Amino acid sequence: MRDSDVLDKNPHVSRSALEAIHGQVFGWALSRSDYDSSVAEDLVQQVYVELLTGKARFDNRSSLKTFVFSVVQNLARSRYRRIASRLRLVQAASTEAVAEAVQPIEPNESAALWKAVQELPQRQRDIVELVFCRDMTIEAAAGVMGVSVGTGRAHYDRAKKTLKTKLSNKGAGCDD
Amino acid sequence: MTDSDTELRDALRNAQDKVDSGHVPPFGSVWAAATVRARTMRRRRRAIVGSAAAAAAAVFAFGLLVQRGVELQFIDAEELLGTTSWSAPSDGLLPEHRFDIYEEIPVLIESTETYGGALL
Repeated sequence: MRDSDVLDKNPHVSRSALEAIHGQVFGWALSRSDYDSSVAEDLVQQVYVELLTGKARFDNRSSLKTFVFSVVQNLARSRYRRIASRLRLVQAASTEAVAEAVQPIEPNESAALWKAVQELPQRQRDIVELVFCRDMTIEAAAGVMGVSVGTGRAHYDRAKKTLKTKLSNKGAGCDD
Repeated sequence: MTDSDTELRDALRNAQDKVDSGHVPPFGSVWAAATVRARTMRRRRRAIVGSAAAAAAAVFAFGLLVQRGVELQFIDAEELLGTTSWSAPSDGLLPEHRFDIYEEIPVLIESTETYGGALL
């Protein structure tokens, strides 16, 4: 960590360390924002603002990646809470507009595996993404999701089982 | 992690990479925008704190000015003592009210002359 890199309000965080994980952070933000890249970029920017202002303070208790992922998760949650409450207000005036706004954009509909993942319940989808795609341990992933390690492990096992079953069924279907 | 887990992980990672690729904005631009945003937030916060302090000072000064405008009221000492004087309920039982014990003690010896070193 170069001294000049270190953030004033976050002595354990450096610009270069953030740059090294930027791609992964953006990927996580992307999945938190229904694959809307502009929303994801705004989310990542907000995370950096939180780190720059010291509102989100990293104290070296976990890895920087785990910490930044947690910040993304929390910001996305609060943002969606705000959006959801606004949508409820708008819903009274126009139900059609709401239906369009909450429609998620499917990133790759043709991929069977991707579809199977998208069909999983939210928590299972999150832990699968964190463990398989973002190289996290189940413990770290559970920390990011804000659940206990036991709960994280249960979601992970269930997700794996569901995915394997779905994929083997689809594979069998293709062979026929 | 079993072999099937590894296969699943590799397949998922490929699928995820396809989704992630091509979207990532350069770190420099996001960081620069975040720095500007943080600076603006800091300035705004300072402005809010400054205005709050100024408002508090104005209210305090206004309060002082208003207080100065109020006419002073003096308290009559006799009236005050009249309202605060107190006598014990047992005073009525004394043989004579306001009996001064020092005035009533008889003077037995009152001499400063000496004889043979002794006081007369």
